[in-house]
Amino acid sequence: MHSHDILVVGAGLSGMRAAIEVVKEADVAVLSKVHPLRSHSVAAQGGINASLSDQDSWKAHAFDTVKGSDYLADQDVVEVMAKEAPRAVIENEQWGTAFSRTEDGKIAQRPFGGAMFPRTCYAADRTGHNLLHTTYEQALRLGVTFYHEWFLTSLVQSEGKTCGVTAMDIATGEIHGIKAKAVVLATGGFGRVYGYSTNALINTGDGAAVALRAGVPLKDMEFVQFHPTTLYPSGILITEGARGEGGHLLNTRGERFMAEYAPKQMELAPRDIVARAIQTEIDQGRGFEDSYVHLDLTHLGREKIMERLPGIREISMFFADLDPIDTPIPVRSGQHYSMGGIHCDKDGKTPLSGLYALGETACMSVHGANRLGGNSLLETLVFGRLVGQKVREYVSKDPDVNSCGVEQAAFEMRERLQEILLRESGESPAEIRAQLGEIMDNEVGVFRNQETLESALKAIRFLKERFGNIALARSDTKFNFSLVRALELENTLDLAEVITMTALMRRESRGAHWRTDYPERDDESFLKHSLVTLIDDYLKTEYVDVKLGMFEVKERKY
Amino acid sequence: MFRIARSREGERITHYDLYKVDLSRGMTALDALFQIQDNMDESLSFRYSCRGAVCGSCAMLIDKVPRLACRTQVASIKDSKVDMREPFAAITDFPHGWDSEKEILIEPLPNLPILKDLVVDMTAFYNALETMKLWAEPPGDEEPRLQSPEERKRIDRYVNCIMCANCYGSCPINEREKEYVGPAALAKSYRFYEDSRVDERDHFLDAAKAPNGAPLCELIMNCVRVCPKGVAPGGAIRKMKNL
Repeated sequence: MHSHDILVVGAGLSGMRAAIEVVKEADVAVLSKVHPLRSHSVAAQGGINASLSDQDSWKAHAFDTVKGSDYLADQDVVEVMAKEAPRAVIENEQWGTAFSRTEDGKIAQRPFGGAMFPRTCYAADRTGHNLLHTTYEQALRLGVTFYHEWFLTSLVQSEGKTCGVTAMDIATGEIHGIKAKAVVLATGGFGRVYGYSTNALINTGDGAAVALRAGVPLKDMEFVQFHPTTLYPSGILITEGARGEGGHLLNTRGERFMAEYAPKQMELAPRDIVARAIQTEIDQGRGFEDSYVHLDLTHLGREKIMERLPGIREISMFFADLDPIDTPIPVRSGQHYSMGGIHCDKDGKTPLSGLYALGETACMSVHGANRLGGNSLLETLVFGRLVGQKVREYVSKDPDVNSCGVEQAAFEMRERLQEILLRESGESPAEIRAQLGEIMDNEVGVFRNQETLESALKAIRFLKERFGNIALARSDTKFNFSLVRALELENTLDLAEVITMTALMRRESRGAHWRTDYPERDDESFLKHSLVTLIDDYLKTEYVDVKLGMFEVKERKY
Repeated sequence: MFRIARSREGERITHYDLYKVDLSRGMTALDALFQIQDNMDESLSFRYSCRGAVCGSCAMLIDKVPRLACRTQVASIKDSKVDMREPFAAITDFPHGWDSEKEILIEPLPNLPILKDLVVDMTAFYNALETMKLWAEPPGDEEPRLQSPEERKRIDRYVNCIMCANCYGSCPINEREKEYVGPAALAKSYRFYEDSRVDERDHFLDAAKAPNGAPLCELIMNCVRVCPKGVAPGGAIRKMKNL
C-alpha cells in the first residue's frame, strides 16, 4: 500500500504551492487526475492582486475584497490574504514568472473590477499559465513526488480522523488505497456542474463531493460566479483584463449600457453586477441574436491588443473566427467560479481532523458572495503556503493512522466499480450529464426564483436516481475515461443538489446569488454562511455567523 | 467521417475505426471525439482538459499534422495543410483505405510510445525538464527584480510554450534519436538563458548543447510549423547552435 505523511489532492497552483511548503520536512505526494501542467490554474488570464504600490495598501485591498464579497467574506481571512499578497507575488517573481513590466522595469499592474486601485499584476493575459509553469518548475527543483493521472475516489477516515484516500490509477484502472496522516484537498472548482462554463472539462468538484460524502460540511454553495464575458458560443473565458485595458460593452443599439447599472465603475463594476447587466440587456431584447452582447476592443488599437491581450486575440481568432483588432467580440455571461466549497478556517482546517482544504475547492471564506478578479490566483499562492505550514505542524505531532481501514475502503471501492462495469444495460451518463447542464444553466443561473429552483431541485434528484442505474458499454480497464467521466458526473450531481438547495433557502439577493423574488439583501436574516452536511442519506442545513470586525457592513454601490 | 487509430494494448496502432459524426457549426476535433465517446464508442481513450488551447493535453495527429484537437475546427481541417519537411513514417504512411478527401484521420502523436488509442506516454518528453534542470534558482531576495519591457519581450515567445509536445511529435530527429530531448525542452533552455534575471545562465546553454540536445537538431523546422503558440523552438535552437 502507498503511504505518505501528507497527501495533497490536486496539482494546480494551490496543491503544488502547499507541497512545496512541506517537501523539505515531510513525506509529501501530490495526486492529480491530470499532469500538473494541465490543471485549470493554467487558464487564469487576467492577473493576481497585490498592493505593491506606495499609494496602495493591504487595507484598501481588504476593503475592496470585503465590499466585493457583499460583506459575506470572513474578514479575518481577507486580512491574511491582503497582507500576504505582495509576498506571494514577489516569491513567484523570484521563482521566474515573467510578469509584464512597466517602463521602469517594475511589475506592471492593471485596473480590475471592483478594485479602487490598479493592483492586478499580470503576465500579458496568460498569468495563470505563467504562474503554473513556474510553480511546477519549482516543485521539480525541490523533488515533489507526483501521482500523475490518478483519480480520487474516496476519503477514508476512522474515529473522526483522516487516514487516507482511495484513488484510481487511470493508466491501469486499478483502485489503490493511499494511507496519509493528513490529506489536503486542492481539487479546484466545480464549474462543470453547469453546461455553459469557462471551466476546464475536468473541473467536476471531486474533492468537494468526496468531502461531502465523508460527512464534511460544504459552505456557501449557492454562491456561483458567472463571468460577464465568455466567448459566445464556446464559453471560453475572455478576461476582465480586456475591460481593464479599456474595452467597452455594447448592446444592439451601440450603447455602453453599463452606464445604466454602475454609472461610476461602468465596465469595471464587480462581476456579479456586470453579469446581471448583460443578462438583463439580452432578456430585454437588446442582445444580438437574443444571445450575446459585444465586447468592443477596436478603439484600443493593434499595438495595445497585441501587447496586453494577445491570448484574447488568439482565442477570438481560433474559436470565433474574428480579429478583435477590427471586430467586436460576441460575449455572454457564463459559470466561472465557485465561491462556496469545503467548510474550513483560514488555516484550511476542516471539522474532520487531518483534513485540510485549499483554493477554489475550499471556502474559508475569502470571497464571500462574489469574488473579485485577481483574487483567486492570489488565494492559491497565499493559502497554499500557509495551509502547508499548518499541515506540517499537524503531522509533526504524528497522528496515529495505523488502525485505519484504507485497504478495506479500496476493496469496497473496487467492488462498487466492478458492479457498475458489469451492468448489462441502464441509463446513459452522457444523457444525464447533458440534462444536468441544461437544468443548472436555465434554472440555477444568474437570475433565480423559488419556482425555477424548486423545479431544478426536483429534476436533479430525479437525475440522481437515474444515475443509480447507469451502465457503461464494454470498455477497457486502461485509460477508461468513460468510467472516470461517469464518476465525475456523480460528483457534479451531488454538488448540484447542494447548490440548488442552498440557493432555495437563501431568500435574499447578495453578490452572485440573485433572487428575483427577493431582490434585496437581508442582513437581518442572511448575513450568514450556509452549511450543508450529509448525515446518512439526509442533507442537514444550517447557518453560521460571518466574521466581521474590520469593516462596517454597508450598502454596496459602484 | 472520422477514421481513428485504435490500440487497446498500446505500443502500436492495431486498427482504425470509422465513425460518422454529426457536425455542427464551430465544432472542434475534440468535440467530435467526445461525441464518439458519449454516443458511439465508450472505449475510445484520449486526453483533454481545458478545451481552450492553453493546457496542452490534446495534442494528436490530425490528418497527419500534429495539432491540438480542441483548437482544430473540423470544418477547416481539409483546407489547412501544413507541409512538413523530411517527413517520417508516422507522417507518410497512410492507413489502408483512408479516403483523404472525405475522412478526417486521427492518430496518436508520433515519437512517443502509445499507451492506449490516442493516449501516449509523455515520460521522455517531461523527463527532459528534470534532467536538464529547467528551472530558476531563486535568489531569495525580498524585493522583485527589475526587468525592462524590452528584456521581457526577448523571452515572451518562449514563455508562451504550453508543453503540448506537438513539436516533439513533428520532429524527424525525435523519431530517429530516442535520446534527443526535443524542441520544447531546448526552447525552454533558451527561455532561461535569455532571461535578464537569471544569474547562472550558462547552465542553460550547456544543458541545451549537451550531445542529446541542440547538436542533434538539423534545423528542419517542423516544430515551428506545428507550434500552436508561435514559440518557434527551431529559432531558439539555431541561435544556441551559433553561441
